[in-house]
Amino acid sequence: MITSIIIMILSGIALYLYTRSLLENEIEEELYSNKDRVERLLEKNPDLVGIPPIMMAEKTEIPQDNELIDTLIYDPLQDEIELFKQLSGTKNINGQQYKITVRAMVIESEDILFAIVFTFMVIIFLGFIFLFYLNKSRNEKLWRPFFINLNKLKEFSVKADKPLNFEESEILEFHELNREMESLTAKIQTDYRNLRQFTEDVSHEMQTPLAIMQAKIETLINDQKINESQYEQLSSLQGDIQRLKQLNKRLILLAKIDNNQFTAKETISINEIIQQVIENFRELIQTRIIFVENSKISVVMDKTLAVILFNNLLANAVKHNVDNHAVEVIIEGNNCSIINDGNVALKQPESIFERFYKESKKADSTGLGLSIVKKICDYYRFGPSYSFRTSTETDTAIKTQRELTSQGQHIFSVDFNK
Amino acid sequence: MKYLIAEDEKDLQKSIATYLSQDANICETASDYHEASEKLELYDYEIVILDINLITGSGLDLLKKLKQQHKKAGVIIISANNSLEDKLQGLDLGADDYITKPFHLAELNSRIKAVLRRGQFGGDDSIYFHEIKLDTLARSAYVNDMPIALTRKEYDLLLFFITNQGRVLSKAIIAEHLWGDDSDLLDNFDFIYVHINNLRKKLTNEGAKYIQTAYGSGYKFIAD
Repeated sequence: MITSIIIMILSGIALYLYTRSLLENEIEEELYSNKDRVERLLEKNPDLVGIPPIMMAEKTEIPQDNELIDTLIYDPLQDEIELFKQLSGTKNINGQQYKITVRAMVIESEDILFAIVFTFMVIIFLGFIFLFYLNKSRNEKLWRPFFINLNKLKEFSVKADKPLNFEESEILEFHELNREMESLTAKIQTDYRNLRQFTEDVSHEMQTPLAIMQAKIETLINDQKINESQYEQLSSLQGDIQRLKQLNKRLILLAKIDNNQFTAKETISINEIIQQVIENFRELIQTRIIFVENSKISVVMDKTLAVILFNNLLANAVKHNVDNHAVEVIIEGNNCSIINDGNVALKQPESIFERFYKESKKADSTGLGLSIVKKICDYYRFGPSYSFRTSTETDTAIKTQRELTSQGQHIFSVDFNK
Repeated sequence: MKYLIAEDEKDLQKSIATYLSQDANICETASDYHEASEKLELYDYEIVILDINLITGSGLDLLKKLKQQHKKAGVIIISANNSLEDKLQGLDLGADDYITKPFHLAELNSRIKAVLRRGQFGGDDSIYFHEIKLDTLARSAYVNDMPIALTRKEYDLLLFFITNQGRVLSKAIIAEHLWGDDSDLLDNFDFIYVHINNLRKKLTNEGAKYIQTAYGSGYKFIAD
């Protein structure tokens, strides 16, 4: 753009100078030929006066060379002072010296400049508009496959079963790009499938050896006379097997959600599910669970997953509770919050839903509970979130009611409004 | 009672057989599809424990055969696959129960007993242990014919103890039995203490002595 402007200006100046010198030459030539004409006329008619102010002849005594000057002369016809070029010189015709002056009106440089700039502008403006639209339509056609493919890439999911097919383009570079992208995405998908298959296979194949180990330990405990420390060893081994088993179970569950194996879609009442889950907890543990229903939530989802979702959230709250304080479950609008007391906010709340991320030092947790929560929420586009509320003065009323002594509360919420 | 254990993993097969033989049951074993198929044709069993993935064939095919021959055996499927479809398929074909590997032998035993009680396999709706009586239909318990009020979990606990009497039961096994698939939700099994203590109290002095501590942290239900 700048280059073209510079070129424009330079060519404009050049054109201006060239046109001006051309015009000057032309005027000079015209002046000389006019002078010649006057001279010839004088030969025939010595009393010729000429046509003032353009051509003038007067008798004179002093000879003078041809002289070319610019002069300003008042033109009564146009009623303004105009610039004239003037050629004057003496000539001896028939023994009499005549001073001959011819003049020509000079076109003013400003006018030339204006004409040039104006013409230039018009040409360039028209050219610009033309090129702009030409370019635009051309580009649109040219880039159309590119943008279609870009959109396909944006929507690409490694989990999809179908390979990504790109819009073909006649442009060699795009064609090559497409080919590369196709092979790349196909490879990513295959790798992902293999990885998923691997996880599943490992999880399943581990079950049988685990079963054998577990059965052998149980046989050993029941069959042999063993001492207490041996029993401790064996039962801690059993605990480890148990952990592997849970880990397996959860990994399989995560894989199943990934594989879209939960297809049951029924409208279920979240309130009822929570009620049921809480009942289940109450039968087994002493922790008080307070359920506050300020609204009713119904969603379309797999019932098994809904139960797993709240089982995990509630278990998490019970696990990380302080001194067996009450755990609260509150349904408000489209939101369900599970609240338990805690003393410090999580250090890395953004990592809490990640696999195998553990903030507490409890060695025996699998670190998968909340990532299952996240997975289920993602699957149904629910919004899970975590926040920590520090206890304040306003909580005093609740505090005394609930005998709260902790520093604050961990709040896990699920927003069911998609 | 006569059991057939069709399981291709010899170690697991042996452990199951050992555990179940303790109640004076006869346990026969089959290590592959053909052996199991042959034994099922020749003999009658009260309970068949069937692995779905037998090396030379599917346990589900054996189940179909069994049902075609109208044998009255109770069938419990054991599988490494915890998928709902597999479970439903097995139960649709006429299996009485389905248990996923890895399982506790005590759990398997208690499932077998439940199948025996439910079916016409010589079981009884009531279970007796000295002065304790459990009515499995009404899910109620009696001590010296006096009804005692148990919660659902306490009843399950007592039933589990009686079914696996004489065996050492760790807290993990008990927790898993009481809470099934969700037992992993809580990392420690301290809540078991509470339930066992409550049960002890309710069984009164006579009954409480049967629940004995084994090796410090396990339990054993035994008559002196």
